[in-house]
This record gives sequence, C-alpha cells and structure tokens, in this order.
Amino acid sequence: MGIRLFFIGLIVTALAGGGFYVMKLQKDNAILKANAIKLESAISDQKTLIENQKKDFESILTANKEMNDLIGKLKTDFADLDKRFNKKNRDVGLLAIQKTKAIERITNAASVKANRCIEIASGSPLTEKEINATKKSEINTECPSIANPNYIPY
Amino acid sequence: MEQLQWHIITSENAAEVFAKLEADGIDPVLWGLTDKDFELLAKNFAQIRNKMVETNAILDKYKEYYESEENKDDTKN
Repeated sequence: MGIRLFFIGLIVTALAGGGFYVMKLQKDNAILKANAIKLESAISDQKTLIENQKKDFESILTANKEMNDLIGKLKTDFADLDKRFNKKNRDVGLLAIQKTKAIERITNAASVKANRCIEIASGSPLTEKEINATKKSEINTECPSIANPNYIPY
Repeated sequence: MEQLQWHIITSENAAEVFAKLEADGIDPVLWGLTDKDFELLAKNFAQIRNKMVETNAILDKYKEYYESEENKDDTKN
C-alpha cells in the first residue's frame, strides 16, 4: 500500500512538474517572441537610420562639391581682377597719367558693375539680360561667375 | 546701391578737375587714393563680395537641407 502511494505521489509530482515545465516553456517562448519582434523593429529602425545617414552623406558631398566649384569660380574672378591691374607688368597709375579720361571712364564703368555685383551677392535676382549674356561684351566683367550663369569664358 | 563718381587727378589736370567741381557747384575737395591703394580697394571690395556669395551659398544649402520634404518632420521634433 505504501509503495503504491509512493508511486502515485511520484506520478502526480512528475505530471505537475511536467505541467509547470510546459507552462514555463510557453512563458519563455512568449518572451522570446516579444524579444524577436523588438529586435526586428530595432533592426528596421537601424536600417532606416543608416539609409538616412547615407543620403545625408551624399547630400553633404554634393553640397561640398558645389561649394568648391563656386569658390573656384570666385577665385577666377579675383584672379581676373588682379590681371586687370598687373597683366604684363601693367602700371595703372602710368596709364591713368597718359590716358586720364579713358581710365576715368573705365573706372566709373567698372564701379557700376562692381556695385551690381554686391547687389547680386546680397540676393538681388538676375535680370534677363544678365542671365542671357554669353559674349564677353555682354557680361559683367567684375563678377561673371555670379552675374552671368550662361557665360562660358573663351 | 548708390553710384559714385571717380575722378582721376594727375599733376597735369588737377587745376582743371577742381575748376570743374566748382563750376558744377560741388565743393572743391576730394578724398584721394594712390593707384596702388585704389587697386587694394578694388580687391578688398571683391573679397567682401566673394565672402558674401560664399556665406549666402552655405545658408542656401542649409535651407535646402532643413526645409526639404524629407527633413521637415525632423525639424518639428
């Protein structure tokens, strides 16, 4: 009788243990599933972040290239200005003594153009004439890089 | 911008320039620059202008980025 009771107790305990173990497995499974969902969501967020960073990086590279191009053009404008004063050891002072009226006229014309350059640099919209200028005689020689977008130096 | 008038004065034409100013009812006084200083003034002007263009271009790029459709939501947060 005692042995029978012992075995019955053993079986009941084993069944209960098995039941608890199955319940624990189910609980663990639910936690794992929840973790997997969170992980997938985190991976998806990371992918989006990486894609956005890639786009940002490309935008930055493009913006840098455009800025470098612009700075290059501005440097060319500046070098042209320097040439106008010093090309082939030119002495503007001496020229002004020899051809006073002509140099005065050239200086005043350049001054008008330089003023227009400041207006453009400050955000003034380009005129049709400035946009369509393609010949040397049509451009603003003080700052063609910003005043005459369709002019290609020749 | 306001337009200004440049006068070139040499030892030869100085009297003529001042006489013309007086005849035009302008005070016969001028602020002077040597040819070298005039060159520097022109270059300083060009450098300021170039800096303005650069700064505006940078601002435009930031504006383009922060006001683009993709980034509009981010900036609200």
